[in-house]
Amino acid sequence: MIKINQITVLYLFVISSMLLTACSSISVYSPEAYKQAVDLKIESLNLMSSATMSFSDYREDVAFLKTELSKAYEFAKGRPNNEISTKQWEILIDENRNLLGGFLKRWQDEDTLSEMFVSEAQKLVSDAFDTIIGLESGKISPSELK
Amino acid sequence: MSTFNDFLSTVKDDLMEFAKENLNAYKDELLKDGNAFIEKAKDDLKRWADGLATGALSKADFEFLLKGKKDLAEMEALKQHGLSEIKINKLTDGVIGVVVGSALKTFL
Repeated sequence: MIKINQITVLYLFVISSMLLTACSSISVYSPEAYKQAVDLKIESLNLMSSATMSFSDYREDVAFLKTELSKAYEFAKGRPNNEISTKQWEILIDENRNLLGGFLKRWQDEDTLSEMFVSEAQKLVSDAFDTIIGLESGKISPSELK
Repeated sequence: MSTFNDFLSTVKDDLMEFAKENLNAYKDELLKDGNAFIEKAKDDLKRWADGLATGALSKADFEFLLKGKKDLAEMEALKQHGLSEIKINKLTDGVIGVVVGSALKTFL
């Protein structure tokens, strides 16, 4: 009888550990999310290079990029257990912060930006995208889940 | 009862070995990432200060970049937080493996 109870305790321990894993707040790896982030990094950095020229010449390109960024944010937000990646996208595209969203807003407000500022802001935005890409690539792929 | 005590002793030893192998590697990884971020921030700040001094950057540019660095640090912290969760999940899986392995060694 004692032995049955001991095995039951062991069984419950293993099951509760598995449940703990299942309740995690981090999603599994998504190849689509990874590709989306890589593509948008390249498109964003390319467009940022033009910010030494008049915003009015790039108004449509900026509007298109903003739409694509919003799609990426909504995609992240819609994935289950994906709060951390969603928060990263939120910071990156927020117009009131000082990464890509803030940069595009500043370009619109000031019409042209200085060469050094553009180059330095590109480095920040590039690193910011890398944090999103780095987290996504570190996630466990669905095939690894038992 | 002694079989169960043997099991507990085996689990303890196996878990200790598992923790040593996994946690030390993760601690080194975290420290390396943190130090790399700080070093890069120092270089950036120096370059921006030079840009401000020569007039290549305006005061508003400088302030924007500084605040941008703070936002980037927040994103980096979120990445590390997420990777830690992934690591914890993997460790939990590892712990389950150790417990089951120890049980098999002891009871079968």
